[in-house]
Formats: sequence, structure tokens, C-alpha cells
Amino acid sequence: MIDAREADAALNRRTARHPSGGIFWLVPAVLLLLPPLLNDYTQYIVNLALVYVLVGVGFNVVIGNLGQLAFANAAFFGLGAYATGILLHHYHAPLLLSIVAGAIVGSLAGALVSLPALRGIRSFYLAIITLAFGELMRWVYVNAEAWTLGSMGLHVPRPALFGWVLSTEKHKFYLFLGIVTLLVAATANLLRSRIGRGFMAIRDNELAAAAMGIPTARYMVLAFAWSGFVVGTGGALYAILVRQVSPDAFTLLELILHFGIVIVGGLTRIAGSILGAVALTMAPELLRDLPGYEELLIACLMILILLFLPGGLVTLFDRVTPLFRQRYHRV
Amino acid sequence: MLAQLVVSGIAQGALYALVALAMTVVYRATTVINFGQGDFVMAGAFAVYVLVVLAGAPFVVSAVLALALLFGIGWAIYAGLIRPIVAGPHLALAMMAVAVGYALRGVARVVWGREVLPFPRVLPQGSFTVGPVILSASDLVVAGGVIVAVAVLGLVFYATPLGKTAQAIFQSERGAALIGINVAAFQGAMWGVAAAMGALGGILIAPITLLYPDLAASILIRGFAAMTLGGFGSFPGAAIGGVMLGVSELLVGAYVSSTLIDITAYLVIIGVLLIRPSGLFGRPIAVRV
Repeated sequence: MIDAREADAALNRRTARHPSGGIFWLVPAVLLLLPPLLNDYTQYIVNLALVYVLVGVGFNVVIGNLGQLAFANAAFFGLGAYATGILLHHYHAPLLLSIVAGAIVGSLAGALVSLPALRGIRSFYLAIITLAFGELMRWVYVNAEAWTLGSMGLHVPRPALFGWVLSTEKHKFYLFLGIVTLLVAATANLLRSRIGRGFMAIRDNELAAAAMGIPTARYMVLAFAWSGFVVGTGGALYAILVRQVSPDAFTLLELILHFGIVIVGGLTRIAGSILGAVALTMAPELLRDLPGYEELLIACLMILILLFLPGGLVTLFDRVTPLFRQRYHRV
Repeated sequence: MLAQLVVSGIAQGALYALVALAMTVVYRATTVINFGQGDFVMAGAFAVYVLVVLAGAPFVVSAVLALALLFGIGWAIYAGLIRPIVAGPHLALAMMAVAVGYALRGVARVVWGREVLPFPRVLPQGSFTVGPVILSASDLVVAGGVIVAVAVLGLVFYATPLGKTAQAIFQSERGAALIGINVAAFQGAMWGVAAAMGALGGILIAPITLLYPDLAASILIRGFAAMTLGGFGSFPGAAIGGVMLGVSELLVGAYVSSTLIDITAYLVIIGVLLIRPSGLFGRPIAVRV
């Protein structure tokens, strides 16, 4: 018999504020203190990790939460980077406007890619058609030379925010941290909302979700568009960080890296995508001068995780600390 | 001109057909699409390269050894990596196939870096002229090999008890296991066969395209295009789809624009899946509830 008071307490615990709420804002606050400890190179790596946090978190919405096998993430990333790069290179547009443009282009690409899913194309078929879409975009980058300058790639001028030039990696860091924090918080809230629960219902059983009155078609477009928005922003930041946008950066290998991030970190979990992004940005830097080992590392990590730790690295932390633990549902 | 393009296209398409056939074998046996099939092609070509160029073995011996090696690798990948998660979601299976292919590529890159290697000319040289068309001997060998492969697969899958076994497993693994079929052994063998077919493709492709660790990506997508065009799970479909893709690539390249050769496969995939997802010979895609 469960004591009534005990049941009440359990209910209160369950409905209490999500425990990661506090830690969520703590992490970027602590990160603000990081730059003085870093040199230019390590700061660049941290910035790159921030870019891939967006890539992982955005990808996770479609692949982990909506449960659709979409292989177009590298295309969202590339289109975002090109949109921003083209605006900055050809039109000298303001920085924030260019980033927003990258996000919107990514989001439109997301909505476009969701259309075959609405035609009832699922699973491996969706994977193949989105893979073809991604490769098609890469052909566009090479051949739309008037805008993209072909396979040589675009050079992005030194970014300036309201006339204030972001001359060092540290300046970029503060901008990136702000944008990444905002978008990750927005994604976390989206996934905790009625809509986010709808995504997961579609993943778990699409027919049952539709039968319960969830507008599956609309939610699917929305999930893809949001994913494209976040990943496109990641692409925009990538263009600003690397200051060179070329077709080679958005190949199948890039796509496999994106898969590695969400799988290794932990599918369905935002904390997992962040962890995966950090791990897979830092680790290959140690192996940079050894060709092939980077691929082997990522592949072996993915294989080990898929075999032995299907929840990803983040579940290791769950065992140690309750802070990241999911409370009601896989988010 | 047109006749020549069609003949060359058929020869090229035969190679795509081989890749698509290998993926169809895996699909029919395990309902998994192998996203690492392109890397089997690469691995097979590298195995022959090592044996012929570095070890100095005769070509035919090397080819047989490479096929056997890849059969073993395919089986081991299935038994060690795919089987344990085969009951899991499609996503995990697709990711496992991607990761395995990536690992194979990583191994090749550890050894060969970003080099592009010339592959020895192992197929017979020379050519015949038939009317306006020039036929090269190597094209004939490739096309003949693919026709034999289709015939054997067709025979095995449609006219032997093994084919019935495959069908039973495709429809319900649990049901097949209940009536005494050794599902794991059968699927392992089919992965082995697919890997060996990939190796065969690699041996035939590498003399034309040169050999490098990233060979896999373009082959993988063309294999998918052939499979999509013919219809998933259909052997004649995969073969005919591959040939049609090869021919259309060359026709598009000659009559429209040579920059479009590279994207013919992508456009075929997108067009077919949007307009007629079951392809030319496939059955309509049913959603399993």
C-alpha cells in the first residue's frame, strides 16, 4: 500500500520544475569565464564545438524526436553557410541579418525535405531521397558559380557587429555563445511543449498519433523546418568562424560526422547532442595529422555506442548525477 | 553516335547493376538497406590491389581470394555488428551500416592516405567493331559477368528452396525461425554474398575509375538510384535499373550537358520516389504497423 502522503510527495517531485532548468543557464554562464584561459587555437576549437552543438541539437529534432531517417542535414548546414557567406561576400550585408538569412534558408530547405515524408516516403526510402537531395545541393554549390564561386569556394570578409569588428576568436565566442544558448533553450522548450510531445508521438507510432488528433503532416513539416532553422544557423556561424565556404566542406563525410554527434552523444536527448558535439569536435583535433584515424575513431565510437550503449554517452552521466536525468519522458 | 552511347552506357550501367543487386540481396534477406555497400566495393578493389601489385599474385587467384575475404568480412559484420541490433529501430541499423562503411574507409585511408592509385589493367584489352559501334573486350566481360550474376540470383531466389527460405524470412523472421529455419546463418551468408558481390564490382570498376578510399560515395548513390528505379527488392529491377541509369547518364551527358552526368542519379532517385515510389518492378511500399 502506498501511503497517501508519499504519493503526494512523489507527485510533487514529478511536477516540480524540470531539474535541468537551473543547470541549463548555469552552463553558458560558466562558459563566459572561459576565454581568458584559452589561446587563439583552443578558442577556435571551442567556437567550432559551439557550431556543432547547433548541428547536433537541430539534427536531433528530426532524427531523435520525430524519428525520421533524414540524411539531408549536411545540406541544411551547407545552405545556411552559403546563404550567410553569399550575403557577406557579395552584398556586405549586416552580420546579424546574414545569420538570420542563413537560418531562414536552412528552414526552407527543411520544409522542402519534409515534403517527400508527406507523400508517405519513410524509413530507408526517406533516407535515400534526402541523401540524393544533399548531394544535389553539393552539385549546385559547384555549378552556381555566379554566387558560390564554384569549387574554389567563397571567402567571407571579417565579420563586424554594428560597426564593431569581430577581429579575434574570443569576440566571435561571445556572439556564438549567445546565439547557441538562445536556440538550444528554444529547442528544449519546443520539445517540452505540446508540439514536441506530438513529435515524439509520431516517432513512437504515427498511426496512433494521428488517431489521437495530432496533425501529423503539419508537425512533420514543422519539425523539419525547425531542424533546418537550427542547423542553418549552425552553418551561418560556421561560415563566420572559418571564413571560407567551399563545397568540400559539405560532403557525405560531413554528414557522417553529424550522425556521429547525435548517435555518440545520445539520440533524443539535447544534453546528448551537446555532449556529442563537444566530444567529436575535440577528439579529432588530437588526431589531425594522422589521416584515417579520425574516420576510424568516429566509426568505432558509433559502433560501440550502437552495440553497448544505445542511449549514448549521456546515459553515463545519468548514472553519476541526477542533473541531466530525464524526468518524465525522453527529451 | 547514339548506338555507341547506348552500348557504352549499358557497359557502365552493368556495374551499377552489380552494386544494386548486392544491396537487393541484403534487402531481401534482412530488410536492411546497406548504406556501407559502396565501401565493400572499395574494400574488394583494395584487396585485389594488395594481392596483385604488392604481393605479386596472379590476377585470377587474387580475385578469388578477395571474394572469399570479403565474404568472410560480410559474414563477420553481420554476425558481430548487425545481428545484435537487428530487432532495433531502422535508424540504428542504418547507422550501423554507415559506421561500418566509414570504418572500412578509415582503414583504407590509414594505409593509403589520400593517394589515388592506378589499378592494373586486368581485363582483356582490345576491341571489336560491329557496324557503327565499337565494343571493348572489357565491357563485354563486365556485361557478361552481370548477366551471369542476375541469372544465378534469379535462379536461386525464384526456383530453389533457398529462395522460399529467403521469402519466408523477408515476410516474418520470427515465423521463419519457428518453422526451423536458421535465420542467423542464412542472413549471415547473404551479407557475405553481398560483400563478395561488392568486391566483384570493385574489381571491375577500379580499372576504369582509379582506386582511392573515397571511391564508395559515388558508387553507393548510383547503386541506390538503380535500385530505386527498378523497384526495391526486385532482382531484374535492380539489373535493368542499373543499365537504364548507365545509358541515361551518357545520353544526358552527350545531348544536354556534361555537368549533368553527376546528378542524373540524384534526379532519378528524387523523381522516382516522388512519382512512383515502387519503381518499375517493385511492389507498392507497404507500411508495417
